[in-house]
Amino acid sequence: MSPRPWWAKLGHGSLILVATVYCLFPIYFMLVQSLKTPEEDVFGNPFIVVNPTLENFQELFEREGEVRGFVGRALRRSYPFLDWLVNTLVVFAGSVTATVVASIAAGYALGRLRPPGFQWWRRAIFATYIVPQTILFIPLYQVVSALGLDDNLLALLLIYPTMALPFCVWMLSGYFQQLPREVEDAALIEGASRAGAFFRIVLPMSRPVLVAAGIFTLGIVASDFMIASVFLLTPHNQTITAGLGTFDVALDELAAVAGVNLLAIPVVTISAVFARGFVRGLTASMVEGA
Amino acid sequence: MAAARSAGRTRDIRLAYLLLAPTLLLLLTTLAYPIGWEIWTSFTDLSPLKDGSAEFVGLTNYGRLLGDPEFWRAALVTVVYAIITSVAKLALGLGFALLLARPFRGRALVFLAIFIPWAYPAGVSVIGWYWTLSPPTTTAYAPAMGHLKHLVDGTLGTGAWAFTSIILFNIWRGSSFIGVLLLAGINAIPPELFECALLESKSRWRRFRLVTVPLLRPFLALAVFLSLTGAFADLANVWMLTAGRIVFPVIGTHAYFLAVKAGQYGPASALALTLVPFLLTILLVLFRLFDPPRREAT
Repeated sequence: MSPRPWWAKLGHGSLILVATVYCLFPIYFMLVQSLKTPEEDVFGNPFIVVNPTLENFQELFEREGEVRGFVGRALRRSYPFLDWLVNTLVVFAGSVTATVVASIAAGYALGRLRPPGFQWWRRAIFATYIVPQTILFIPLYQVVSALGLDDNLLALLLIYPTMALPFCVWMLSGYFQQLPREVEDAALIEGASRAGAFFRIVLPMSRPVLVAAGIFTLGIVASDFMIASVFLLTPHNQTITAGLGTFDVALDELAAVAGVNLLAIPVVTISAVFARGFVRGLTASMVEGA
Repeated sequence: MAAARSAGRTRDIRLAYLLLAPTLLLLLTTLAYPIGWEIWTSFTDLSPLKDGSAEFVGLTNYGRLLGDPEFWRAALVTVVYAIITSVAKLALGLGFALLLARPFRGRALVFLAIFIPWAYPAGVSVIGWYWTLSPPTTTAYAPAMGHLKHLVDGTLGTGAWAFTSIILFNIWRGSSFIGVLLLAGINAIPPELFECALLESKSRWRRFRLVTVPLLRPFLALAVFLSLTGAFADLANVWMLTAGRIVFPVIGTHAYFLAVKAGQYGPASALALTLVPFLLTILLVLFRLFDPPRREAT
């Protein structure tokens, strides 16, 4: 290609700059707020933090039930943030694992074993994606109570996977369908069992697709607000998302923004580490097959 | 030999159903009963505020909806919301993907920047956005935001600022995902094809329209599908970003309001189900766009 003129380079560069700023500014803004002292929050420049402090983050971990003082005449309570953190970890890790395992199994069944009507199974499972969640939590609550899981983290472990499964099964079954059969057949001829061939050959080479399914699930799970708030009521049982929803905004704005960041930082870090794998997995599952 | 093969096939099919079981079991518990309940309830006058059992009222709930101006307003807002956000997300996402398609210095970092809005957990970023856009009055930037709110509300009517903030949030997060998805699509196009196209036509636009777009079709279809269905069924974002003070109700929030605040399960179910035909149509179009090229390939 001929070298591009200076104005094209400049245009390209400024587009990149605008895109980056557009994507990162809201995150930067929230991070800055969470590092502010109350004084700076009221009187400082909103875009920068002059004396960064971790006080808002520390405040989250103070012992629960302690009275933290008054703002005007309103009492500020502490929150069991540590419990929320552990609950969130359990729910996120559990949901992602359950979803990935279930969708590998279903994807392999539909893409490789191909029971009669597998295309229709595939479509039907994907079609559940469009069920509007709007007021489904009312009957869902009956199901959850019937199973004795109300106000229990297991309720989320039951519901979250079904929000990501349709997409993940669709993706993985498409991937397995296009994965050359020879890969497995070679191992079978060598005398490996089907399971052996699967775990030693197919699974390792499918890593990007599994990463894509996992990161997609994490994105879905982390973006839920409604389900967590509806099904987890006791403060000790809540996840960070549900708990932050109960914050009193006017009193605890800084601590809440710190809470937002405390959940976001690990989730974003994990996603960022696997981001390239995520893209490769999406490509592989939809087009290449390998 | 043939018998052995068919025995193997039977075993495969049995294994397939066994492997499908966890997925189907999960979907059945969390979806089958709730959907059945919703459909049944939409034909009754079930309400937690009412004594006695629910009565079957036929299509009354649906009939009432069609005559209710509130429903048509919510439907209109939903459609506007879905179209604005989808067009913007697709345009921005495509822009991001094309920007990242060619190598340049620092591409890996720019890619991460574009990926992060989606990865940032929306369950809490929506809380952060709410406070950023409607901050407590004590913060330093509250006056500026207040001015902006009054400006937008003054020009477009009360509640416009809240609605704008929902749209902005949806676009911010969605364009990130669509950008990454389309980048994955562009990566799948063999570079030789671009080189051939370069020989065929000098016009960038023609190359884009005749090579890139058709090859990206499945990815574009999926992007549009996810965007439209997400917007149609959106409830959480709208509810959270307006703190429940809904001036522009979408179908989702209107149904939620009817069910939770007004205790009218019947009409709320009917309302929520009105989305299904639209979503089904979108789904069928997706399947059509998705399957043909795949069959040609095999």
